[in-house]
Amino acid sequence: MKNKNLILLKTMLDSTSQWNAYKYGSDKKKKGKIIGNTIGVALLYMMLMSYCILTCIGYGKLGLTRVIPSICALTISMLALVFTFFKTNGYLFNFKEYDMLMSLPFKPKTVAGCKFLYMYVKTLPWYLSISVSMLIGYAIYADITVYTVIIWLLMALLVPVIPMLAASFLGYIIARISAGFKKNNIVQTVLTFLLVIFAFSLRFIIESVFRDDRVEEALETLADSVNGITDIYIPAKWFAKAVTDTDILSFLLLTVTTIVLFEVLFILVGRSYREINSKLKNHAASGDFKMSGSKQRSILNAIAFKELRRIMGSSICMIQLFMGELLALLIGILVLFIDFDDLISTVTQGAPVTSAMLHPSISLIVYFLIGMVSSTAATPSLEGKNYWIVKSLPIPEKTLYQGKMLFNMYLTVPVAVFTTAAICISAKTPLLMSLLSVVLSVMLCAFSTAWGCVCGVKHIKLEWENEIEVVKQGTAITLYLLPNMIATMVLIVLSVFLGMKLNGNLVVIILIFIVTLLTFMSYRKVVKLCR
Amino acid sequence: MGKKAILEIKGYTKVYGEGRKAADNVNLTVESGDIYGFIGHNGAGKSTTIRAVVGVLDFTEGEILIDGHSVKTEPLECKKITAYIPDNPDLYENLTGIQYLDFIADVFEIGSSERQDSIKKYAEMFEIYDSLGDQISSYSHGMKQKLAIISALIHEPRLIVMDEPFVGLDPKASYILKQIMHEMCEKGTAIFFSTHVLETAEKLCNKVAIIKKGRITVSGSMEEIIGDQSLEEVFLEDEDEK
Repeated sequence: MKNKNLILLKTMLDSTSQWNAYKYGSDKKKKGKIIGNTIGVALLYMMLMSYCILTCIGYGKLGLTRVIPSICALTISMLALVFTFFKTNGYLFNFKEYDMLMSLPFKPKTVAGCKFLYMYVKTLPWYLSISVSMLIGYAIYADITVYTVIIWLLMALLVPVIPMLAASFLGYIIARISAGFKKNNIVQTVLTFLLVIFAFSLRFIIESVFRDDRVEEALETLADSVNGITDIYIPAKWFAKAVTDTDILSFLLLTVTTIVLFEVLFILVGRSYREINSKLKNHAASGDFKMSGSKQRSILNAIAFKELRRIMGSSICMIQLFMGELLALLIGILVLFIDFDDLISTVTQGAPVTSAMLHPSISLIVYFLIGMVSSTAATPSLEGKNYWIVKSLPIPEKTLYQGKMLFNMYLTVPVAVFTTAAICISAKTPLLMSLLSVVLSVMLCAFSTAWGCVCGVKHIKLEWENEIEVVKQGTAITLYLLPNMIATMVLIVLSVFLGMKLNGNLVVIILIFIVTLLTFMSYRKVVKLCR
Repeated sequence: MGKKAILEIKGYTKVYGEGRKAADNVNLTVESGDIYGFIGHNGAGKSTTIRAVVGVLDFTEGEILIDGHSVKTEPLECKKITAYIPDNPDLYENLTGIQYLDFIADVFEIGSSERQDSIKKYAEMFEIYDSLGDQISSYSHGMKQKLAIISALIHEPRLIVMDEPFVGLDPKASYILKQIMHEMCEKGTAIFFSTHVLETAEKLCNKVAIIKKGRITVSGSMEEIIGDQSLEEVFLEDEDEK
């Protein structure tokens, strides 16, 4: 008899597998899209692997070959922790097919465990691509044996599991707490936001506690820093020891610890799985509606308002789409109370960067927070099964997407303007440049909105099982993010550099011109796609 | 005064990948005041036809006209006067009932007082008025169906297209919907709906079409088609004919 867990896991994987869709689908257009997506993802893998190999070459040239295994384990662990944390809410709890799965003869522990393994298998290729490429980079400089390769690859399978379990545990705690509240999705979102903000500020908290003490010392060299972290995060140390010192005991320790933690976590989760999910799926109904006036909105505002309600109703969407705005808002408030130069010094670890140098790039820094995710890249696909509603309405597609874009402008512009103005005040930016920076921030919001919409409409995916597939893993979101992130980072460096050579106002004006042009081109593309 | 054709389907054909025909040369006309039943087996092509009529699904050949406007070339003109109620209404679960109705009313540009009156009227008729402030995700299947029906009625369409409208409705709501259908028809609205409940179709419709494997096999006025028989007998006889 086949193992039930394997059957369930295989079914979960098949249900979202592109290969399955390609093999059994008859729509040639869809098959073409799958091939296109596969090529796109392959390119991303190649980019990631090239980056990892080049990083290792850099470490090798600096004589830091011995820290490569630790860095590999830490990088994978960090990515696994962050990505799993954002996904737990949609994958482990409150997922669509919960009723169907729980009505089948599976133990709650099996369902939860398989959901976790599903997340693991789906993300494993990314983690393996990092570890394999870092192994290649390591092999260039270190004297490696067949044993090193085997143990590295075997342990690469285990390294992401413990951080994934930790993230799942945090997700479980949040789900358990929020399940006790009537408005559980709001509580879930707030708790997640709080935890992320705490994680972001942890470094600053540590620094303020150990100022001029251990942290400064520990960060003196990369090697010391890595060693310091591996002393705290033991699994990374086991990985490094097993690889560099051929320590089989470390390999066994990582294997046993992973299995034990998996079992413990899912025994714990399994005990209250039904209870948590029942509460999360239970929607409060008061049944006491009284008509108290109904305001007529314009069609665009009606669509924008509908988008707001749609996103506010889902903690997954809120966490993914509002996080940048929240962080920007917090930084905007923070800089009003602390000196901007102190903040720069903390972020850059005392690098010789002054607030005056950053004046031309203030808008881009704000954009780096709020512009890395655009609701317009996700909302077309989020229509999902509701697509019939907008399709059967008497509005042209252009109007629909204009409404979605209006929502993104409502979401981003006030935050961008506030944070830019707050940073300008804190950084004592001259008035003219402050005004230009605010204009640039607004234009960047417009660009983000229009470019997001291009990606969202061009790569619309209406058939999905979980919102995570749209707001976190969707092609539209990925294609929006990557060039945007790279371009923003390059522009920040470039604007700082040019700001020192040219007039800062001129640099910002040039940027406004370029961004306006890009926004116009993106908007025209949206209109064209709607036709 | 002669009746006006509200919905005209001429040579409508829908071919899916690999050449499978879901609808093959479908022709029918629904006039103002008609209650037109569209019946057939599961997979016969009813929903495919209905989804093409309301502009949700593209089609391969033929023409669909609503009040003289082409669904292909003038989709907005068609949608402005059409209401669609799907068989399994997937609504915006995170909106409250009233927010969803307000959204539809905004899109159809219905004024505040006008919409309040019709929402109140229909919501009270279907007994979901008290639940309009609750999220749609808390609604039962029947309540969602009722909300979809109300959203279709508030803009007073000239053509109502419904896919299995009675599925999930309680007996009272079914009765009210039938009453509303009669009222709308008296005002000149045309109704085109699919159903499996042949008794209902026989009593309610003045015209009927039977679709089999994507082709219309029987169509016309109810009296002409059933004669002395029941619609069930006509349908089964048609099924037996190869």
